[in-house]
Amino acid sequence: MLVDVLDHLVRGIVSHPDDVQIRNKPLRRGLLLEVRVHPDDLGRVIGRSGRTATALRTVTKALSDGKPVRVDVVDVDRGR
Amino acid sequence: MSDTEAREPAGAETMPQTEAGDQPTTDTAEDRSARVAETLNRLEEEGEVAADYLEELLDIADLDGDIDIDVENGRASVSVIAEGQAERDLRRLVGQRGEVLDALQDLTRLAVQSRTGDRSRLMLDIAGHRAHQKLRLREVGARACQEVKDSGESVRMDPMSAFERKVIHDVVAEKGLVSESEGEDPQRRVVIFPAAG
Repeated sequence: MLVDVLDHLVRGIVSHPDDVQIRNKPLRRGLLLEVRVHPDDLGRVIGRSGRTATALRTVTKALSDGKPVRVDVVDVDRGR
Repeated sequence: MSDTEAREPAGAETMPQTEAGDQPTTDTAEDRSARVAETLNRLEEEGEVAADYLEELLDIADLDGDIDIDVENGRASVSVIAEGQAERDLRRLVGQRGEVLDALQDLTRLAVQSRTGDRSRLMLDIAGHRAHQKLRLREVGARACQEVKDSGESVRMDPMSAFERKVIHDVVAEKGLVSESEGEDPQRRVVIFPAAG
């Protein structure tokens, strides 16, 4: 469910929704969600001073039923 | 995003002498009403795009809520409402101090911007949070105004969000006093001054 939530939130705010990918990596405690978007949309998803990335984290965590969740926006250009 | 609260609150209702009718202008009444209709259309469209974005979120998160779209003070206003248990569930999207609501409002504005191409100043409310908060804040603002009137000295309010500051500015204007915001977020706060002259 959280993957779908984040996927929807991100798709709605980018210019290339078809290039949005959310990867779900279980961590020892909780969950890591990796967000990949079209390079042109990277600034949009991060926002000024990271404000949009923070908003994505805040809403996703609010729906995680208290489980620890990390949301990382991955800069594809810089490898991984 | 820059601070959008600015000083617009004082204008609209409390200073009738600045009404558009007094401005030297060459456009006709038809031009003006066409422009008003166009703005209204644009704001209603904003509300609809926002409602789509939010409705799908509720669906995915398995939350129930009705979405109301309105236009208020030149902004699109979208409220997600429910009753009973559904309302309590919705409060997950508000958060302890409204931080989730503010985050979702940011994202909803961006969603509108990506569809319409225009910057949006849409207001989002969930489970009546802002409506209740506004009532409480108006009381706080009214008490502070009374203090300024009684003492003749300015009063500095606690640091507040842009939304909260706007509510205070509005109350101050209604009470015939003057207010300004000072400092930087998250320490930005309203200062209320005695009426000039």
